[in-house]
Amino acid sequence: MRAWIPALRARWRVLVRLGVWSVLEAGQTFLAGYALARALDAGFLAGNTRVGLLWLGAAGLAVGAGAYGTGRVYGVVAALVEPVRDRLVTTVVGRGVREADAGALSGLTQQVEIARDTLAGLVLVSRSFVFTAAGALIGLFSLAPLLLAVVVPPLLAGVCLFAATLRPLARRQEAFLAADEALAEDLGAVCRGLRDVTAAGAEAQVAAGTGERIDAEQRAARALARWSVARVAALAVGGELPVVLLLATAPWLLGHGVSAGALVGALAYVTQSLLPALQNLVHGLGTGGSRLTVVLRRLTPSADSAAPRPEDRPEPPRTTSPPRLQGGPERHASPGPPGPRTSHDSPGPYEPPTPHNSHGPNEPPTPDDMPESHEAPAPPHLTGPPEPSTPHTVRGRYKAPAPHAPAGSGEGPKPHDLPEPLGPRPQPDPRAPRHEPVQRVPQDAPGSSTAAAAAPPPPPGAYALTLACVTFAYGPASEPVLDRLDLAVPVGGHLAVVGPSGIGKSTLTGLVAGLLEPREGVIRVCGHAVPGPEAAASRVLIPQEAYVHGGTLAENLGLFRRDPVPERELLAAAEAVGLTPLLEALGGPAGRVDPAALSAGERQLIALARAYLSPAPLALLDEATCHLDPQAEARAERAFAARPGGTLVVVAHRISSARRAGRILVMDGARTACGTHDELLRTSALYRDLVGGWTAQPAVPVR
Amino acid sequence: MTPLPDAPDRLPRAVLRHAGARCAALCAVSTAATAAGLLLPAALGRTLDLLLAHAPAARWVACCAGLVLLLAVLDGCAGVLTGTVDARSTAWLRGRITGHVLAVGPRADARFGAGDLVARLVGSAAQAGTAPGTLAALLAALAGPVGGVLALGLIDPWLAVVFLAGAPVLALLLRAFARDTSACAADYQRVQGRIAGALAEAVGGYRTIRAAGVADRETARILAPLPELSRAGHRMWRVQGRAAAQAVTVAPLLNLGVVAVAGLLLVRHRLTVGEVLAASRYAVLATGVGVLVGQLAALSRARAATGRLTEVLSEPAPGFGTRHLPPGPGRLELRGVTARRGGHTVLDGVDLAVPGGTTLAVVGRSGTGKSLLAELAGRLTDPDGGEVLLDGVPLRALAHTDLRRAVSYAFERPALLGATIEDTIAFGLTAPAADRIRSAAMAARADAFVRRLPHGYATRCSAAPHSGGESQRLGLARAFAHGGRLLILDDALSSLDTVTEHQITESLLAPGAGPTRLLIAHRTATAARADTVAWLDGGRVRGVGTHAELWQDAAYRAVFAEGVPA
Repeated sequence: MRAWIPALRARWRVLVRLGVWSVLEAGQTFLAGYALARALDAGFLAGNTRVGLLWLGAAGLAVGAGAYGTGRVYGVVAALVEPVRDRLVTTVVGRGVREADAGALSGLTQQVEIARDTLAGLVLVSRSFVFTAAGALIGLFSLAPLLLAVVVPPLLAGVCLFAATLRPLARRQEAFLAADEALAEDLGAVCRGLRDVTAAGAEAQVAAGTGERIDAEQRAARALARWSVARVAALAVGGELPVVLLLATAPWLLGHGVSAGALVGALAYVTQSLLPALQNLVHGLGTGGSRLTVVLRRLTPSADSAAPRPEDRPEPPRTTSPPRLQGGPERHASPGPPGPRTSHDSPGPYEPPTPHNSHGPNEPPTPDDMPESHEAPAPPHLTGPPEPSTPHTVRGRYKAPAPHAPAGSGEGPKPHDLPEPLGPRPQPDPRAPRHEPVQRVPQDAPGSSTAAAAAPPPPPGAYALTLACVTFAYGPASEPVLDRLDLAVPVGGHLAVVGPSGIGKSTLTGLVAGLLEPREGVIRVCGHAVPGPEAAASRVLIPQEAYVHGGTLAENLGLFRRDPVPERELLAAAEAVGLTPLLEALGGPAGRVDPAALSAGERQLIALARAYLSPAPLALLDEATCHLDPQAEARAERAFAARPGGTLVVVAHRISSARRAGRILVMDGARTACGTHDELLRTSALYRDLVGGWTAQPAVPVR
Repeated sequence: MTPLPDAPDRLPRAVLRHAGARCAALCAVSTAATAAGLLLPAALGRTLDLLLAHAPAARWVACCAGLVLLLAVLDGCAGVLTGTVDARSTAWLRGRITGHVLAVGPRADARFGAGDLVARLVGSAAQAGTAPGTLAALLAALAGPVGGVLALGLIDPWLAVVFLAGAPVLALLLRAFARDTSACAADYQRVQGRIAGALAEAVGGYRTIRAAGVADRETARILAPLPELSRAGHRMWRVQGRAAAQAVTVAPLLNLGVVAVAGLLLVRHRLTVGEVLAASRYAVLATGVGVLVGQLAALSRARAATGRLTEVLSEPAPGFGTRHLPPGPGRLELRGVTARRGGHTVLDGVDLAVPGGTTLAVVGRSGTGKSLLAELAGRLTDPDGGEVLLDGVPLRALAHTDLRRAVSYAFERPALLGATIEDTIAFGLTAPAADRIRSAAMAARADAFVRRLPHGYATRCSAAPHSGGESQRLGLARAFAHGGRLLILDDALSSLDTVTEHQITESLLAPGAGPTRLLIAHRTATAARADTVAWLDGGRVRGVGTHAELWQDAAYRAVFAEGVPA
């Protein structure tokens, strides 16, 4: 309701128009009684047929004028209702897109329409009542002011009676709508699950459960039906009682100068104008008002009552703390080479945080904001990553890609303060399953650089992605999916994530992509804290379910670009990921895409080409190639790996995909292990299992 | 299951009979209300005449007051009765059709589709439920206008003539109303459909959109047709306004015509003032013919809705036998089983025997009837020829409870019924104990992810995000929790990763005592672990043997290569 009251207020000009056209209707009402009275008194009863017919003719003209007014009123109602509808559609679509609210669809097609129709109905009905009543009352006054004394009190009493029952009636109406919806939902689940019901032999239980819903709906409907008596009572008092009163007081009225015609006119006003108008009001407002309230409440949920979104339902405590405060000068607005600093021997362990993009001033981290283990040494890392507090540890390791500098020396005593670097540089850490990361001492055992050569040398000290002590769980009481995970992927790195289904691989990409918020810990993309606009501009997620919309191919591919993509670049990207055949089949970049007509693989190719064109340096492929054959997958992954300055994180779908990566993260519950293929074969039983499962059927996709 | 007392074609009568007494009461009350309504103008006119003549009229005033009161009471009763009859009939129809749909089972889904079934159970039942009430009120709706015209004629025949001459105009104008609006409503819905389609795509791609932070741009793109929608909407209102203007002209003009003639008669002293008033009121009652038309339209809609419900009832429900299952290991036997779908034979004389406690994997190219075989083996459907036996008893002869207790199913895409995760695993003939649910979830490798949900096992199904693999594991847990001597897995591991599948099959297919297992397999690893493999090809069993034996045949190997992109 609150949504449209300001809308009405803002449209006073429309309201004036509404009033003007309604006056025509009021005029018709006025003449309907007045002309009848005059036609009788001055015409037919006086034996003057001509005058009588003239008055009736005038009433007939007024009917025409009133009808014209009615027609125009609809146009004005449109000017009132359509903008409200536009706003509702905009709200619903916005919420649907932002929150992936599938309910938005029914909201769009059904509830918005109900809102539109009922709002229009309410405006029409209440306006009609007001102007009809005004016309009739003015008419009564013109005939004889005494008539008002007889008609107005019962009319007011009827309206008040109706107003008093409006609220309980609305409650019954709401209860009925709720019961109806609950039933529809239940029936939907049952009809979709008939096979399972039969297989389980649970017909009787299901029938009993549905029967309860059916009965509840029936009870609600009957309760609502009983309240219809209230309407009848209001009508009887407001519309019928004045007739009886007019007759009962007729001798007195006639004695006080009320003519016969005036009495007939008054009776006509009551029975032919006031009663129908009240009838419409009672029926229209009684059902329409509560329906509109229910629907609007559902369409425009207030911020705090909004339904949780599917992915971040668990309301993890937001870590609004220094991690978000970043050294202003170092912030990279442009997604260029993401190294935060060019000089890697900058003096301080960290820059003092500036209140650049956060709400608070330089407040020190509070214990609540981060895991306890971080209390002492943490601020440096949380405030200035990817700048490590002990510059030589990480920095040094990345100076030279291959036979690396003797770097591990300094990091032993710093438990857990550094993201574990991953990438071209080998790090044969079997991060042995750990439950107490605090006790973990990262080892920097020497290892062979296997995949290092493939990746371009990253700018020193730069990470495309860091996770520091990231914990995530779907609920406050549920087991964490990620437990204090550390991870660092340097610029140009290529990381594969493997693990059993449902283990949290997509949760990981969801966290990096800002779709989920960690309960604890800090994630940075190219040095920018997640969530944040810079981080959003620095990464592109290609999920398993490729998003393709019904625009042109060029529009689909340019989704992540501000300006239209030059055709040459489009064609090059298509060629790089293997989209060219489809592009030609669609008739070039200007061809219109019908998402339903594409195969899952073709949709994935479009999503890949779009991501390829994205300026974001970090690409997250979350089983984004699962519908492609191995060759096509290899081609697409190589294209991404070869993007200049591009970093690639692949949730691997085939062993071949994992083997292409320099390093592999094996997820196994909250435990993780990380290393090269060969290292993991030695150290991770799960990885061996996974590889075994994959290689048993080398040609068959995992799923 | 639910016995069907009457044939489906008698559904309308059955509804009426169910509503019986209330319908009769409604008919009586509404007709009485109409009668009172028809008497009132005459009484008003007479009273007015007496009053104008300064004659004693107290009795007539009281009479009018009594009529008004009676009318209000009768209207109130009619309102309550209509609502009650509608609600009762609708609920009765819903209960009846739901029971039948459940008894028919998957066949109902196959014939109508789940969405259509819901539409029938929700929408059609509500519409059909109004039939008894509408029918009962029809007499009253008819009596109003007819009585109005008759009363006009009784006052003076000329009044009826004027009214009847004007009435056709009314009918014509009301028809124009229906024609006009439908065209621009279609326009409106088209634009609305475009927006909804684009929104559906975006909802599906929300991960992409949100991760890239392009929600605003996408919203703007989806809303691009909004001005067009607005234009179509304005057009709709304008057309409706025109139609409404026509509609509101007719009744008052007819009324004025009647009053004008009455006035002329008044001048000639053929009518009194009271009769003029009565004539004007009767003219209004007579225009209630529009209400009658509406009632008739509602009745025809209700009839059509009843027809849609009758269609559902005409799908026969399978019956069950009375025999009990003897103790046994769960030996499954298919004897000459033939099954047809959509006019062609999918399974053609299939003979198979699965010894109790062993595992049979069914493999074959897609479309060879593997899933149909799985449905037949546990009597989700009946064969068109041949017989399926469990421990020597034909499935058709088994009592419902015995059959469903003996057979458990897990599907590729299980429907997760029940309020919570715990309920969905417990869903079945009898609910297993909580610890059994936990151990079943563990065996299905679902325990770990369930415990990570916001409320663990108490998480509501609607609030739990399931991937295909998670749903499958819950479906498996449900099958494991209920046990039975025959376990049928219809592609129930297809969305699992290889490691999880391996872990599950390892415990599931371990040799030793356990249920007989029939599984539809796509992967060599699964087939290799089964005791026996049945190779279906073209609706027949092409070979039965171990995986290793069959593997010698290149055509068998080709089955597993299917679906792998070149």
